[in-house]
Amino acid sequence: MTNQTSWEPKIIAFLCTWCSYAGADLAGVSRFQYPPNIRIVKVPCSGRVSANMILSALKSGADGVLISGCHPGDCHYISGNYFARRRFGLFSNLLDFVGIEPGRVNFSWISASEGEQFAEVVKTVTERVKKLGPATRLVKKQSVQVDRL
Amino acid sequence: MPTINETITQEIRAKAKELLESKEVAAFLGFCQGSLPMTTRPFVARSPEEADKLVWNSFCVLNPANYLPELLKSLEPPRGPRDPAPEGPLPKAALLATGCWSRNIAIQIKENQLDRDRVVIVGIASRGMVDQRKIRARFPDQEILKVEEQDHKLKVSGQNFEEEINRWDMVRGNCLTCLHPDPVMLDVRIGAAGQERKNDTPFQQVDEIKNKSTDERWQWFQDEFASCIRCYACRNACPLCYCDTCFVDDSKPQWVGKSIDPVDTGLFHILRAYHCAGRCTDCGACESVCPMDINMRILTKKLSMDVLALYGSEAGMDPEAPLPLSTYKTDDPQDFILSESGAAKEGI
Amino acid sequence: MKVYAFKQADLEKWVKSWTSTHKVYRAATQKSETCGAHAGWTEMTDGTMPPCGPAKSSVKTFYFPQPETMATFSAKKEDPDGLLMENQETPEEKQIVFGVRPCDGRSVELNNLPYVDDPFYQANRERTILVGFSCTEQKATCFCTQTGGSPYGTEGLDVALSQVGDVFLAEIITDKAAELVDNGDGLTEASESEIAELTSLRQAVEENPGHDESLKAKEMTALHGAPFWDKVAESCLNCGACTFLCPTCYCFDIQDEVVRGQGKRIRYWDSCMFPLYTLHTTGHNPRGKKVQRVRNRFMHKLKYFPDRFGPFSCVGCGRCIQECPVNIDIREVMVDLLAVK
Repeated sequence: MTNQTSWEPKIIAFLCTWCSYAGADLAGVSRFQYPPNIRIVKVPCSGRVSANMILSALKSGADGVLISGCHPGDCHYISGNYFARRRFGLFSNLLDFVGIEPGRVNFSWISASEGEQFAEVVKTVTERVKKLGPATRLVKKQSVQVDRL
Repeated sequence: MPTINETITQEIRAKAKELLESKEVAAFLGFCQGSLPMTTRPFVARSPEEADKLVWNSFCVLNPANYLPELLKSLEPPRGPRDPAPEGPLPKAALLATGCWSRNIAIQIKENQLDRDRVVIVGIASRGMVDQRKIRARFPDQEILKVEEQDHKLKVSGQNFEEEINRWDMVRGNCLTCLHPDPVMLDVRIGAAGQERKNDTPFQQVDEIKNKSTDERWQWFQDEFASCIRCYACRNACPLCYCDTCFVDDSKPQWVGKSIDPVDTGLFHILRAYHCAGRCTDCGACESVCPMDINMRILTKKLSMDVLALYGSEAGMDPEAPLPLSTYKTDDPQDFILSESGAAKEGI
Repeated sequence: MKVYAFKQADLEKWVKSWTSTHKVYRAATQKSETCGAHAGWTEMTDGTMPPCGPAKSSVKTFYFPQPETMATFSAKKEDPDGLLMENQETPEEKQIVFGVRPCDGRSVELNNLPYVDDPFYQANRERTILVGFSCTEQKATCFCTQTGGSPYGTEGLDVALSQVGDVFLAEIITDKAAELVDNGDGLTEASESEIAELTSLRQAVEENPGHDESLKAKEMTALHGAPFWDKVAESCLNCGACTFLCPTCYCFDIQDEVVRGQGKRIRYWDSCMFPLYTLHTTGHNPRGKKVQRVRNRFMHKLKYFPDRFGPFSCVGCGRCIQECPVNIDIREVMVDLLAVK
């Protein structure tokens, strides 16, 4: 199986195009260092991210998930992230309830000007997931066990 | 002396006859006797004669609101998809409603699944429905051939035994913790009005699991859902599930695999429950219909608990208020957000 | 055919001895016992006798597993053999299913009619030894005699156990089961009187009234167009509980599942109760209405299947009656069908 020392987590990050994706862009342009473990999926709004998408990421073998949108009040679509906040609040509690480790699925607000904060959040999330180790819960198994890709 | 349920049955039949005879409604949705002990069948009476088949007892565990939108559609004169709606008022249907069922009707109206003007709600204060699994578990090695109901006792009998048991001990988990047995909206009342119940620990069943460790909860979840055969009875018995295409039937993308892989089964149950968040009235139909005795209701109960704690609302209690997930407050709790909870700085 | 006689303790010892060489399954009595691939069944470690009536889940899971991998493939772009299907080798590991009721045993024979050329079903049949248990008592939902079965039936079974007084008789029916006997050393053959007693019990079962023959004689369109279907369908939830618990429902669908670049073609249980079952790619659904789907399930079991293969596609186990959330009773449907002119 996976060698703990060489293992690097894969983290799927759903970033809203208006704030958090721009924040990631700024982090890059400003040369803030952050771990290369995240794979960014650009979404129009954090309100677009459904529970199906988060669970799909876990099912397909992501070790962690990060969902990030505009700060409340700053949504490009006025209220998308307010609705998202209600849904995510319930969903993260439900995941915790069924025994998904806290820290697998993470939520944050990052604005277009917060490049440094973006790097910070990615660091935190990566450390959290590293501490938890490879995801095993709700991960669909392959029919024949092979080394992780 | 007739029992409470016998009196209610008579009143239901009389009311159904009256409504059907006067042509106020074209159909009356209730229950009729099943072919086995402890069963009832959802039943639609369309003539005053059929009204005599209606019954009311402690085994009316399905939620009639589940059938209502389809029933109303079937009462409309047939027309093509592009034909205009017929003029004049459309035929009405009456249905029985206890507290939770009436709240489901309120939600269906809110979600534009129902036209309030076409429904006559016949309200009954629920005394709690009985869980036939509990009775079967009480007599594990015997086959139950008959259950006679008195007001507070159940007389259970089989080939070589007969025993009287306390009715309340056999009541379903959701009914035990129910706070609102009386309908929130009704047009006609049958029987006496119900009282709001008091319960200091309405979420005790959830707390028992919540107090376990993460690993124990995961194990509990795995064990509980291991025997699921993906028959979707829980989904289909639910009045909240009316999507034309369910997420489990989507193939591009395929959110959930189709077989009984434990991951797919788990995803199905998490997502099914989550889709009911803020809408579930804890009517218990999902759990009652499960052929494999899975307690999936605990997931929706957990969501109801959180909706109440975080957003201060109970599904369907206020027919005028927006549903909790289709509204928001600017100061909704957000402890789970990394950058807001200070977790980002803890360096964990 | 050899018949052996046991006292209960000896029988339990005999059954237990199989667990060292074979995977032996019995019906789960608790939800938490259920073992991965076979919901409702569990691996057996002792020799306890099964409780009365059919198990909650049918034996079809051993012949027609949910899911069954038919082929594997690589879905990686860089793989030169990408998307090339490789046939899945059919499993050979021997397994024993213990305590199967005669209705379930018979279902294996009935499903064999449509599956006679199905390599997966046949391979599973080859590797599975069914140890049946005759029913000394029947449940209120049992109606095997109305469908051509018998509580002492042996169709489809490899070993049939029956209780005669306080003795258990084991009939070794097929060659497959011979390996359980170990040349018969240490086992006592049943006496002629014991065998005679079993035969008389078997013969005392009422004759099959032959409903299948009278339904076969009826016009298909008349049964299809009968007005009672609307009433039957009205309360139906269109869930798959009846089909999935039914031992003789054998419909499946096929899908390719890809997990991290590795694909497999699986077949999994499908149900004619689901709208997706008949949905065309055009969007048209020939069985778009609930009543059409409910009718299909019963007509298939009681008319289409007998017209094609002979017997009903129903063994009278009563699971669908017991577990139907809205108490749709196939016995009532049979009565309704027989009443159609």
